[in-house]
Amino acid sequence: MNDGAVHITDLVKTYTDDRGRPTFTAVKKINLEINNGEFMVLVGPSGCGKTTTLRMVAGLEKITSGTISIGDRVVNDLEPKDRGIAMVFQNYALYPHMSIFNNMAFGLQLAKKKKDFIQETVSRTSKALGLDHMLERKPQALSGGQRQRVALGRAIVRNPQVFLFDEPLSNLDAKMRVQMRSEISRLHGQLGNTMIYVTHDQVEAMTMGDRICVMKDGLIMQVADPLTLYRQPENLFVAGFIGSPPMNLLKGKVEKGDGGLVFKETANENAVTIPLKGPVETIAAKVVGKSIVFGIRPEHLTEESKNGSTAPVSSTIDIAEPMGSESLVYMRAGTGNLIARIHGEALYHMGQPITVYVNLDKVALFDAETESVIR
Amino acid sequence: MLPRQRLLLKKVIAHSVLIASCALILIPFAMVVLASFRKGNFPPSTLWLNPDQWTLDHWKYVLGIPYRELLNAATGETKLVNPTVAPMRWFLNSLVVSSIASFGIILLSGTAAYAFARMKFRFRSQILTGLLVLQMFPQILTLTAYYRILNYIGEHIPWLGLNTYAGLILIYLSGISINIWMIKGYFDTISPSMEDSARIDGASRFQAFIRILLPMSAPIFAVVFILSFISMISEYPTASVVLQESANRTLAVGAYSLLDEHEKLWGHFSALAVLSGVPITIMFLLCQRFIIGGLTSGGAKE
Ligand SMILES: Nc1ncnc2c1ncn2[C@@H]1O[C@H](COP(=O)(O)OP(=O)(O)OP(=O)(O)O)[C@@H](O)[C@H]1O
Ligand SMILES: [Mg+2]
Repeated sequence: MNDGAVHITDLVKTYTDDRGRPTFTAVKKINLEINNGEFMVLVGPSGCGKTTTLRMVAGLEKITSGTISIGDRVVNDLEPKDRGIAMVFQNYALYPHMSIFNNMAFGLQLAKKKKDFIQETVSRTSKALGLDHMLERKPQALSGGQRQRVALGRAIVRNPQVFLFDEPLSNLDAKMRVQMRSEISRLHGQLGNTMIYVTHDQVEAMTMGDRICVMKDGLIMQVADPLTLYRQPENLFVAGFIGSPPMNLLKGKVEKGDGGLVFKETANENAVTIPLKGPVETIAAKVVGKSIVFGIRPEHLTEESKNGSTAPVSSTIDIAEPMGSESLVYMRAGTGNLIARIHGEALYHMGQPITVYVNLDKVALFDAETESVIR
Repeated sequence: MLPRQRLLLKKVIAHSVLIASCALILIPFAMVVLASFRKGNFPPSTLWLNPDQWTLDHWKYVLGIPYRELLNAATGETKLVNPTVAPMRWFLNSLVVSSIASFGIILLSGTAAYAFARMKFRFRSQILTGLLVLQMFPQILTLTAYYRILNYIGEHIPWLGLNTYAGLILIYLSGISINIWMIKGYFDTISPSMEDSARIDGASRFQAFIRILLPMSAPIFAVVFILSFISMISEYPTASVVLQESANRTLAVGAYSLLDEHEKLWGHFSALAVLSGVPITIMFLLCQRFIIGGLTSGGAKE
């Protein structure tokens, strides 16, 4: 079975004004393969084209060029209802003048399904979602979480090949969001359908996605599973976007020092110098003298020198944020802060000198010009 | 002053203002109602009605029921008046014209508003602005043009020319720009994701409009309907020019014809004026359901 696979090829979307003149290209020739049954998350900052992409898959937005196929069919010219998709909207988009039952049954009624079948399907689905005792109510009489569940139920009864979600949880409060997050994940586990999920929340992306597609300015920056995305960002954007606090990114150059290569920040004040050893040295050797960006995640700055490839960095503390079991320590550096996530309950103070050790196995170097990772 | 007295004073002032503004609305109305029950065809003068002045003659006249009219108070000479059925005809004329035209207005402005709110086409914003500008000129200014046009149409399509209800309705249907703006404004407040959702559910564009957008917009349609209805029941200039035969008249034109230069029949006029409020009230009660329902449904909890 390959019905739920979605292939997006050279997809372009250019919005036009009333006269059909192009105004803005929101999606710029993207390619994306989504496997059958996969939970694919589209993530990126506001305005990067996630919704536009999703709406093109749904058939709500005309495709400027390129193709989208679902299963083995090119769906470019198919009506939304014929694409085997269902969509959950950010504002739920429940029909306010209809009861919950009719909200869920609307699609089946339009498809002229038998009454018994509709009754059966809706009551089964509503029971599974815990909505069975409020089928006669109107959407206004439901809480945000319940409304979202109705929207979910309405999608489920369509029995689609592909579920499309556009920031479905962003209108919920934090607690409800966590709960619905796991509920949708569980749903994916039960149904096994392909799901395409748009969010700008990287925590949602990391926790829910089988794979994550990071977008920026209408382009795909990287597609990978959450851990790969975290560990091996392809470019500066992904490195800075995924992770909280984000990866430390220091601008500078690789220079030849006495004992081998060193990374030197290009800055007049507080410039840090990091000796490079081990695997990273081989990579650094390719870019000696060039402008690069040195990337290291906060948790890979530790207080004790581990065996193997670590390198000391000395600086002073700008801010320290104790969080109980760990502290976020913001150290002064030439091109920004250098944040270390240090375990333990020790207290740190502003202005205090500190030396931390960089785990050189975890370092990523980026070309400052192309912003791509250097391998 | 003691606090209690001050409070009392405040209450007195507040109530005086309220009573005065109520009086402003109610007294003229009461005068007209009383005038419709007063013997003789005099202009409404007092709020007072002596028991011996009571009569149902004006109402009988308006409703087309025969009655005896006193010709000479001294001799007691009377005359049987067998009123023409005209006032009731006018009433029905108005009802028919206003209802059909109001429905037509809803249909036209609703669909036009949908296009302006949800579709993309050349000159969309220019046309919208144009409509607004057109709206600023009172329709009455184009009356001569309408007259000529209906005259011309009548030569080719008799049932749509001068002296036809269809002709009058046609003119009424041309004054819908403000309604388009109002309904479009309402559509703009409804998230397009509603119709998107319906389209994913398998609704055609038309079905999404009819089954989702329209019911959601019931309040604005009720408002547009009732406003159009009221304005057409009381519309005089156009109706008086288009419908020239006595039996054809609408209520407003007919009522005004009772105030002829030589013989002002204030009593008849008053009865007819009160009667004309009936359909408006009924329409309003019917529409109110949608208006109130629409306004409160957001906050209603079960
Ligand atoms: N109808 C439209 N006409 C013109 N430009 C549009 C239209 N819809 C969206 N855009 C533009 O296209 C870009 C992408 O929009 P899109 O809604 O896909 O962003 P998004 O990634 O979903 O952002 P968000 O996280 O804020 O929802 C934005 O810059 C937006 O301004
Ligand atoms: Mg969006």
